[in-house]
Amino acid sequence: MKYASIKKEDLGKWLEHMKKKARVYVPKKKENQFIFRPLHDVSEVCLKYIPTILPPKKYYFPQKEKLLNFEIEPFKTSKAFKEFEEYILFAVHTCDIAGIQCMDIVFRETPEDPNYLNRKDKMTIIGIECLEYCDKYASCASMGNHEPRGGYDLMMIDIGEKFILHINSEKGEGLVRGVAYIKEASEAEMASLERVREAKKKVFKEEFAAPLPKIYEAFDKLFGSKVWDEVGKKCIACGNCTAVCPTCYCFDVYDDLDLSLDSGTRYRIWNSCQMDDFAKVVGGEDFRKGRDARQRHRYYRKFKYPVDKFNRYFCTGCGRCTRTCMSGISLIDTVNALATEMAWAEKAH
Amino acid sequence: MKKQSKPKVAFFDFSDCEGCQLQFANMGETLLEVMGLVDIVNFREIMSEAGEDYDVAFVEGSITTDNDVKRVKKIREKAKIVVALGACATIGGVNGMKNRAPLEVAKKRVYGDKADTVNTIKTMPVHEVVKVDYFINGCPVYIPEVVSVLKCILLGKPYVVPNYSVCVECKMNENVCRYEKDQECMGPVTRAGCNSWCVNNGNRCYGCRGLVDDPAANGAKDILAKYGLKLNDILNHFTLYNDSQGAKYDQAFK
Repeated sequence: MKYASIKKEDLGKWLEHMKKKARVYVPKKKENQFIFRPLHDVSEVCLKYIPTILPPKKYYFPQKEKLLNFEIEPFKTSKAFKEFEEYILFAVHTCDIAGIQCMDIVFRETPEDPNYLNRKDKMTIIGIECLEYCDKYASCASMGNHEPRGGYDLMMIDIGEKFILHINSEKGEGLVRGVAYIKEASEAEMASLERVREAKKKVFKEEFAAPLPKIYEAFDKLFGSKVWDEVGKKCIACGNCTAVCPTCYCFDVYDDLDLSLDSGTRYRIWNSCQMDDFAKVVGGEDFRKGRDARQRHRYYRKFKYPVDKFNRYFCTGCGRCTRTCMSGISLIDTVNALATEMAWAEKAH
Repeated sequence: MKKQSKPKVAFFDFSDCEGCQLQFANMGETLLEVMGLVDIVNFREIMSEAGEDYDVAFVEGSITTDNDVKRVKKIREKAKIVVALGACATIGGVNGMKNRAPLEVAKKRVYGDKADTVNTIKTMPVHEVVKVDYFINGCPVYIPEVVSVLKCILLGKPYVVPNYSVCVECKMNENVCRYEKDQECMGPVTRAGCNSWCVNNGNRCYGCRGLVDDPAANGAKDILAKYGLKLNDILNHFTLYNDSQGAKYDQAFK
């Protein structure tokens, strides 16, 4: 079975069914925003939501994570923690699934990161395809992440009375197999899916002023652009943009002794290139002293460096960095300003 | 770790409310573990003895009289390690409001015709008078941070107070930003280390830990404009705890 369908009224039943198998994390409302939280009551699940404050990365790359225990006398360290329970991320947007794919590339690079992989192995992803824009901050169409591009176990697509489920892995199949109210999609349902996808093409338009290869070229040429001065002037270095980014993975590691002063725990905690001392080294030298240089670095870590290294853009187009920025730094505006400057430079030649 | 003889610890207070010492006394079960590591010899909120032989001095409160200056210098001479405890000791705290007006005016306001009989000087954080080895910011201090600093003292390691804003911790806690709810907040310019304690509990950040080293004044002003706040409104919030850092504020924000 490649495509199945489920009636909307049966979703609650299905969630209860999955809850028995694993811990399920779902999008819920928090005040005027949304966050992923464990499923308690199916009535709290929001299927129509704008990207959550933090992306689901908090489940496979937690804000503060225990890495291992150690003892000082005699010196002893344990292996990475690996006893995690099975969990299901439910109703993940395709932009966030792209984020998970990016993280996978980074943490699977040799030497592999056991802490990440131990958590990742327990994860099942059920996506939901967006048929409308969440808001004006998203740039998912330019980044090509407004449509499913793999990286999930199941994908839900709303065709009206029902959801089509695209089954993309054995894990995903395991969640629909033997469930009486989930049936193989009929020809009529598949035709509806086609119609929905056709209609969607009219909704999503590339948000950047130029296609991605042109954007890459602009980044390649315009390291010294005034655009970065402007961004730097606005930035207050609060680190919100990197915390909410589904592909920012910088971390710091520190040892915390317990009060016996004899044993302790090694933690890793999210870190951010936006912090004042991030690129400071012994001797006091700071490689990215200004907020302009630090913001530029963040952008280059999305549109230039990972393209060179992994052949993949690390912006998912989710729009979180713009949405969360108090001082109104907009990713789309910044990228478009670069693209415009590039076009002018080309004209001048 | 080799168990050395337990260091003797004393607590002293200057101009303050003694609330940070109260936080320490209210630590709960952890206090029992702490007592296994140090000997508290002087702490008037929890004991009647007042030992004058100590290794580590926790100094709470800001320095506001000539007598305070003499007293804190004596403490410094005796103690191997001096810890500034709380907002008053680390940045001057609320007491800093005295520095807003010329000293004579401030004295008159408080003491009226008896102003001449009172000795008072400008409000100073402890490190403006004597060398301070460890800083524990906050009003009141955040107990997990107190414990971290204690461990550093016992291990002979420095404790580095974060130099990034409260937003960093607040975002990791996945709070809805107060600005998104049209409520102002000092988080963007305030030094972290409290795990965004107040915002986690539905309050706003009051800036009790002082400014980060390099607050982005222009960016902060843009934010005020974006959310329709007036500079003077927010300056009043800035000065609640930070008046004794006046020069820094004047340069950056006025």
